[in-house]
Amino acid sequence: METIIDILFSGLSMGSVYSLIALGFVLIFKSTGILNFAQGELCMVGAFVCYYFATRLEIPYLIAFLLSIAIGSILGALIDVLVFRRLVGEPIHSTILVTIGLASILVALSGLIWGHDTYSINSPFVGKTVSFGGMVFSQVSIVTILVSLVLFGLFILFFRRSLLGIALMGTAEDSDTAGLMGINVKKMRMIAWILGSFVACIAGIFLAEQSFVHAGMAHTGIKAMSAAILGGMQSIGGAIIGGLLIGLVENLAATFLTGFEMGGFHFGDVKDVTAFAIMILVLMIRPHGIFGKKEVERV
Amino acid sequence: MLSITNLETTYNDIVLSLKGISLEVPAGRIVSLLGGNGAGKTTTINTISGIRNSVNLKIETGNILFDGREISHQEPHDIVTSGLMQVPEGRRIFAELTVEENLKIGSYTLKDRSHFQEHCHRVYEYFPILAQRTNQLAGYMSGGEQQMLAIARALVANPELIMLDEPSLGLAPLVVQEIFSIIHRFNREQGYTILLVEQNANLALSISDYGYIMENGKIVMEGTSEELRKDKDIREFYLGISESGKRKSYRNIKHYKRRKRWLS
Repeated sequence: METIIDILFSGLSMGSVYSLIALGFVLIFKSTGILNFAQGELCMVGAFVCYYFATRLEIPYLIAFLLSIAIGSILGALIDVLVFRRLVGEPIHSTILVTIGLASILVALSGLIWGHDTYSINSPFVGKTVSFGGMVFSQVSIVTILVSLVLFGLFILFFRRSLLGIALMGTAEDSDTAGLMGINVKKMRMIAWILGSFVACIAGIFLAEQSFVHAGMAHTGIKAMSAAILGGMQSIGGAIIGGLLIGLVENLAATFLTGFEMGGFHFGDVKDVTAFAIMILVLMIRPHGIFGKKEVERV
Repeated sequence: MLSITNLETTYNDIVLSLKGISLEVPAGRIVSLLGGNGAGKTTTINTISGIRNSVNLKIETGNILFDGREISHQEPHDIVTSGLMQVPEGRRIFAELTVEENLKIGSYTLKDRSHFQEHCHRVYEYFPILAQRTNQLAGYMSGGEQQMLAIARALVANPELIMLDEPSLGLAPLVVQEIFSIIHRFNREQGYTILLVEQNANLALSISDYGYIMENGKIVMEGTSEELRKDKDIREFYLGISESGKRKSYRNIKHYKRRKRWLS
């Protein structure tokens, strides 16, 4: 019983990170139509910046955290202004290739600035635990889950209640008509990029606290993409639930399937494969995901 | 209020779409722009609205003056902010949002948010059906209701001039009648200036003060609605009424014999 709770808990904490990254995918994809393959790299940049402030400059953790997400958001705005604003109207494969190029550039630049080693963020939560009812939970995971849940709530409220959120959804659905309603479509695209890299940075910092800061952490982005696809690529709620599900299933599979033997076939370390297996299954069975709809249509 | 002079536009830098058109929409009037498919009506109002980059449309020469200011190089959202709103062809409501959210987007340019409720109530008076459906997803409404929503969405912004692009498209004749009478009432009771783009010449001329006929990217004829309705060619080609005043009989049609006299 206790191991199950432990597995679910760490699954949930990893899942929150996936959800945050997947949220970034969905925000950018919905508003700009760009499938941003550099989402994981934005996470990595966020983690590196936070590491730089908290560990190397020894700035207090909270300030370092806020500074890094601010810098991450500015980076998102810059990416939009410098690159993707010029690509409006280009076919989808060229924008996707540009995001892949952008990913390489971000990895190379981070390597140049911070080096290719493995670092850790100097955070007050790392390595500490809380006991609750005889069970031990890591503080990092608790903070990750709590902050993510608050952010999810805020995002859902933002898109349902605020004028800016509704304008963003309208722009996502039909940008020409949104322009006819007086919405500055360029500004909306920039806001989507800012929000997308904002959540990516937070995810990156939490991810780095659960493990380490290194260039390879960008690959988590592709796992989170399977979460976004599972959720339907269009739906914010779908991205959140998809991320949590992938986190949970991945942890369950890692515990129960690793080393499993069946008819002479030996399962190795299945943890990293699970997310992709789910992505392939979803694409085969239900390509529009759990919450994605093909289109609102009258019957 | 809106005046266009010698407007010439091209698609993809090659295809000349508008070949130098001039038109005038005075304040408080309904002006219709009539013509068949491909005459350039939608191109005209897209050019006015600033929808150019996404359809690869370019202005070669000409001026568009709105309230005395040149707007031919402004972005769509700036044009809307200055008080010129378009109701696009084919309704283009936000299907995944509710009726109320659609109206909220329509009111995006309202500086003072406290007026939003007031504008909404005024719009609901003209379109009572929308008031009953505030929380319904717009995509699930009937075509007529969607068209009403598209017009209402423009009206909550309280614009000075509304451009309606084929509000009759794909709707049942009775619904079209209803929508046109609401447009007429809006013009008379609230004093809105309207530029109405239509294929249904008969209906459009019945509520408008002045009309322009477009063909092949040119304005071939203009006049007050009365004059246009009396004109022989208009009656023949746009209203489908033969010279004796009866409905045209298609049995003895000899269309090719009669040339449009503006084609020389």
